[in-house]
Amino acid sequence: MSPVLSAALALLVSASTSVPPAGDAVVRPGESLAQLAARTLGSEGAGPELLAFNHLAGAPAAGTPVQVPGPERARAIAAIGSARSAIGQAPAGSARTEAEARLAEAESLLARARYAEAAAQADGAWKLLADAREERSHFAVAVEPDGRTRVAVREGVPVRVEAQGRTRAVRAGETLTVVRGEPPGTPQVDSPGGATGPAEPPILISPEPGLKLALEPAPGGLGPVRFAWKPMPDAVGYVLELAGPRKQTVRSAQPMVTVPGLPAGKYRWTVRAVLPDGSLGPSATRAVQLVPGRIKLEVKETPWQ
Amino acid sequence: MALCLSLLVCAPACRRDAEAPPAAPAPKQSARATLAEVKGAVSVKRATGDEWLAAVNGTVLYDDDKLRTERGGAAELRFPSGTVVVVSEDTLLGIAETRAAPGRPQADVTVLRGAVDATLDRPANQSLTVGTPAATVRAGREIVFQ
Repeated sequence: MSPVLSAALALLVSASTSVPPAGDAVVRPGESLAQLAARTLGSEGAGPELLAFNHLAGAPAAGTPVQVPGPERARAIAAIGSARSAIGQAPAGSARTEAEARLAEAESLLARARYAEAAAQADGAWKLLADAREERSHFAVAVEPDGRTRVAVREGVPVRVEAQGRTRAVRAGETLTVVRGEPPGTPQVDSPGGATGPAEPPILISPEPGLKLALEPAPGGLGPVRFAWKPMPDAVGYVLELAGPRKQTVRSAQPMVTVPGLPAGKYRWTVRAVLPDGSLGPSATRAVQLVPGRIKLEVKETPWQ
Repeated sequence: MALCLSLLVCAPACRRDAEAPPAAPAPKQSARATLAEVKGAVSVKRATGDEWLAAVNGTVLYDDDKLRTERGGAAELRFPSGTVVVVSEDTLLGIAETRAAPGRPQADVTVLRGAVDATLDRPANQSLTVGTPAATVRAGREIVFQ
């Protein structure tokens, strides 16, 4: 295929699938208002807006030239999109209600092709929520099985963390871990997007949650007990902590640990990923009970396919 | 005589424990928070009771009540000030414990295990204190007039 033909074909495809730039368009024979709006503005529902922009009272006849709005429409649509997104994320309240009213007005102005006013209304709605969001205080507190406390401030004003008579401020985007019986250390700045390691805890596989595991006698109690979880791409290793009749911490390079024997009883097992910088990621915890005995497995046919 | 007196003193309290419906509020206490968005296994232990009872939306929590979520469970604590605390799964917490450890300030919520996520929409007019075994976390206004 010649380059000229390729270019012509590309132009044809472009013309039929995308919104043309601002300027004139001519109504095609048999083209409805919805089809014309879809071709020129990218939306079948924008017919009334196209009429308003061209000061037309009804659908134009074939061959009629129509004006297509330019970047001012794109700006209004972008502003409305931002406002809609901000409203979708905003908590219920007076700010959100007012923003919703402004957004409705912006959409109404857009339908009447009053683009500058529509953009201003939408911007106002967005700013209303942005200002309100700045005032919010949002933070998380997590207590690990060993009693360590992790405080992460997501947004808003700093929170104050007190321990052993000392107080630390933790600002938005920072995390502070406090070890039981120790004063608070220095808050760490959260990496955007979790660049230094996984933000999610490991996904535990076995033993199943709350399982009563019947095991035979083994050195150290009952066993063997196999703990397994899904591998994590950023982990350089894992730490398994057992809390129960016996407390034990095991480091492993693999996403599984087999303990030869444990005293009978109820355990909580916790797994964390070891990150490349040596820190530990979020934990996942499950309970399991070890009892003496032998599991009898019976596999029956099932009618389910 | 002493036995009779102690029985007289004990009787109203004992009868109250025996007759009170499990989810009934403790007497002479102000409501601290209300449960909402209860999902999965969530239970409450009253300060005056020993039983863990299934929690439902609208359950009112009082001083020294306990709240527990199991794996897959979650709930929201809504405080009268508008503060919202989302309680994650596998969490155990106490409400406004009046018997805080010596030297520890009273907290609105004491997280003993698990995690919570708190939002103060108007921190200039709200405050929240979260206690844990290791620390006390204070958010919002330094002093809030009741």
